[in-house]
Amino acid sequence: MKKLTILFLFLNFVLFPQEIKENVNQALQTCFGKNIQIHYEKIKIDPNLKKEIENMAGQNFFSDEVHFYKIFESDRIAGLAILDNVYGKSLPITFIVMFDPNGKILCSEIIKYREPYGGAVQSKEWNSQFKGKDDQSGFVVGRDINSISGATISVNSVTKGIKKLTLLIKTLLKK
Amino acid sequence: MKRTFFILTLIISTHQSLLAQDLEFFEPKTTVGAYGELHYNNEKVGNAPTKSIWDFHRFVLFFGYSWTEKWSFKSEVELEHNFVKNGQGELELEQAYVNYHYSDMFGFNVGIILPSVGLLNEFHEPPLFFGTERPVYHNLIIPTTWFGSGASIYGNYFGFDYRLTLFESLNSDKLSLAEGIRPARMKGYKPDASGFLYSIKLDYLNIPGLKVGNSFSFNNAKGDSTKIDITIYEFHTKYEANNITAVFEFGNINYSTGELKTSRGYYFDLGYNVAALFNVNTKIIPFVRYSDINTAAKTVSGGDSERLYHFSEWMIGLNVKPLEQVVFKLDYSERTRKLDDRKSKFINFGMGYMF
Repeated sequence: MKKLTILFLFLNFVLFPQEIKENVNQALQTCFGKNIQIHYEKIKIDPNLKKEIENMAGQNFFSDEVHFYKIFESDRIAGLAILDNVYGKSLPITFIVMFDPNGKILCSEIIKYREPYGGAVQSKEWNSQFKGKDDQSGFVVGRDINSISGATISVNSVTKGIKKLTLLIKTLLKK
Repeated sequence: MKRTFFILTLIISTHQSLLAQDLEFFEPKTTVGAYGELHYNNEKVGNAPTKSIWDFHRFVLFFGYSWTEKWSFKSEVELEHNFVKNGQGELELEQAYVNYHYSDMFGFNVGIILPSVGLLNEFHEPPLFFGTERPVYHNLIIPTTWFGSGASIYGNYFGFDYRLTLFESLNSDKLSLAEGIRPARMKGYKPDASGFLYSIKLDYLNIPGLKVGNSFSFNNAKGDSTKIDITIYEFHTKYEANNITAVFEFGNINYSTGELKTSRGYYFDLGYNVAALFNVNTKIIPFVRYSDINTAAKTVSGGDSERLYHFSEWMIGLNVKPLEQVVFKLDYSERTRKLDDRKSKFINFGMGYMF
């Protein structure tokens, strides 16, 4: 049985890499604590709402869908999170934004960065600038969000991406 | 048999639950990008008559393709001065490399690459620097864009960004008192392959808005008639936060033999986005720059030959960015040659874009 278990773990690791899922779980636990229950669903964004948010943020959504997480602690809702992507220079940057039940940002994190340049957007210090922001906040790079020399494209891209999710979460909360 | 069935069921069900989340976002993709800049240059050197020109200085197309998340190709082709004829204007393959990005900690690239020397060489798009023309430091001390055949490995550990580069040699016959290593770049055109330029760069990036770092490069440069060891050290820092942009770079180049012994220079920029005071999204950034450049800071002859190419320059200017990717620029500068206090005056304005 032991051998088969090892074989299972090995095959599972090789065939189905879990990097993104693991990183998402880790990000959620870092933000909300270890004793949480996570409810996941993929949600389709209403086309009119999608267009409206895209115009406001000045950036298109990566796709028609986003990955939505409800976080519970002792059966009480502790917060919400959305996983999405934006394009850097050429490749997708996968990121997650975690909100309190009122739609205010608690944490944000880059889940996967694939580009050779601009990786500094992954730094905790840079991401911590978004804490406390909501749909009414400013998201202008250089004024509200500090830039990173050598990561200009990624900084602008991720900032707009986070703004989009902040606008989206507000409408999800109204439902 | 039962156990095997159990394991297979477990694998399939785990796979399905992962598929349910469908968290693989990469798709093979072609990327097209570009940057360019149109300049108006007006100069009055000493008592010579004023000269002014229009110059679509750079038109650059970026083309890239990602086969997988880890393997990609990136390239840049550049047309300089809009037209190529009789040695005027240039058509250059400025970047063309295959990149393997294993993780944040390790990756490598091979092809026509940019050595990681100074703030601008790898990040030279017009919206990213003050002044219509690139800083004179990046013309005469660290010649930008410096490109050629080579390979590098790179990565980031705890905020420290490193890049080790193996790069084509400089041509030591072409070193110049007036321009340092600038004319010695081979630009990927059949460079001598008997030696390499070795370069190491280390930056620290974990303070938001701040980049601070340095690089050291060494090359046994060869030409048809000379052999010169060249060492390049440069320090760079840029702060871009709270509407302030501040830049400082210093570079020193030593040459082992020949008339030219040392080239040295530095500059600093200070700008403030005044639009923030009026809550306007267009960035309006007046700035000031001071440069001190001496491509022949130390020579075998000494004396006046060390002052002939030494100058200081003050510049005041304005960068207006309606978008992060579009910039309009205006600047005025005065250059003073140390040898005889000869003054040169420059008025430049222009437009730049990137995407």
